Amino acid sequence: MNAIVDINLKELALGAFLLLIPIGFLYTYRIKMVKDVLINVARMVVQLSLVALYLEFIFDLNSALINSLWVLVMILVGVLTAINRIGLKIKFFIFPFFIAGLTSVLIIDTFCLGLILKLDYIFDARYFIPITGMVLGNALNHNIVGLKTYFKSHTEKQDLYRFLLSNSGNQKTAVRPFIEEAVKMALNPMIANMSVIGLVTLPGMMTGQILGGSPPAVAIKYQVMIMIAIFVGCTINIFVSIVFTNKIIFDAYGNMKEATIKTTRFLQKKIQR
Amino acid sequence: MIRCENIHLSYKNKLILSDFNLEVKKGENVCLSGASGKGKSSLLNMLQGYVIPQKGKVFIDGELVSATTVKNIRKKIIYVPQNIHLPVKNGNALIELLSTKSELSKTYHLLKQLGLSKDFLNQDFLKISGGQKQRIIIAICLSLPKEILLMDEPTASLDDKAINLLIKTIYELKNKTIVSASHNQHWAASCNRTIKL
Repeated sequence: MNAIVDINLKELALGAFLLLIPIGFLYTYRIKMVKDVLINVARMVVQLSLVALYLEFIFDLNSALINSLWVLVMILVGVLTAINRIGLKIKFFIFPFFIAGLTSVLIIDTFCLGLILKLDYIFDARYFIPITGMVLGNALNHNIVGLKTYFKSHTEKQDLYRFLLSNSGNQKTAVRPFIEEAVKMALNPMIANMSVIGLVTLPGMMTGQILGGSPPAVAIKYQVMIMIAIFVGCTINIFVSIVFTNKIIFDAYGNMKEATIKTTRFLQKKIQR
Repeated sequence: MIRCENIHLSYKNKLILSDFNLEVKKGENVCLSGASGKGKSSLLNMLQGYVIPQKGKVFIDGELVSATTVKNIRKKIIYVPQNIHLPVKNGNALIELLSTKSELSKTYHLLKQLGLSKDFLNQDFLKISGGQKQRIIIAICLSLPKEILLMDEPTASLDDKAINLLIKTIYELKNKTIVSASHNQHWAASCNRTIKL
């Protein structure tokens, strides 16, 4: 394998000229998105530059404590983003969602880094941070979709919940269709993605590894491992989040607690509609 | 079987029930009547433990309804809701969601008594009438092996013929204690007792 071809900053800037094509389309059709595109491309460049700086710093240190703290910060930021995007109250949901994120990270990292890759140093930043980041990033996106569906269904289908709770006498039975709907919404895109991977889409990690000089066979094995890790991580995350959420949103009588649900921004939006 | 003692219930500063008492004996069929907003549905919700009165006590089969007993109490209760537009595909899907020990043969028999064939369990809820849907839900509920039956406006979507079939079906039920809320006078007349709220 040849060494990777680096991109110098001048060439990278030249690549940015490609943006003239979408900007041209947007301008021609008077679609008011040009400003958004420019601002967000600039943001991306600044954010990724900062990431490059701190990743280099963290990779050089390669300390178990710093790396673990960094992962905890990643989980926390992910949790706060999810709570904000779903429209929930932070004080009620920060702990359960954090536990869900931590559980998925612990299981996936132990399995992938300890049992599959058999790393001597499990906290090696080169593996620990990217793999955790991939799992958390994906779990975040899918969890937001799933949990938003869960809360929405509960608020819109209260009659079904009460019917099932009264007639089955069992809360697990009463929440089952709501969990099913949320989990399907969260995981279906990932399942669909797995079915076309390699045919329609070439995953970023695999592409990155091949460009980085890895043989395709190695890149593909990593990709298979990471796809399974992401799927399992997302599944753990959504189920643990829902289990803990149920303990928070329902009182001992099975009623939804107004303080946790009815004052959410999510519901206010619904009422406004 | 069902006892409410000195119930005081208000919702959003509106008094719904004041010093209310009720005793329903085992096997009795009682109808709650009264204008809308008088507390019929609230009372049914209270019997299931969804609404907690500000004062007073509710006993079901000798057990005080409380946070610790509500699970056990709900195992004895069947609830036929006022809103029949449940977001499920059909009767079979509803049976599957309930995942209880309801006997299908009993459901088929009840459907027949209510004037419907068992094929209606497969019919899409969006493609059948409100009256058919209500009868399907009632048949599924009545086939649950529980002793207490609570029904909120069970005749709301039914025509006179279907109401008569339902009254006959309920009359033939054995070992059920029934409390219903209804505006329908024909239905109220068929019950052992009517309580006006």
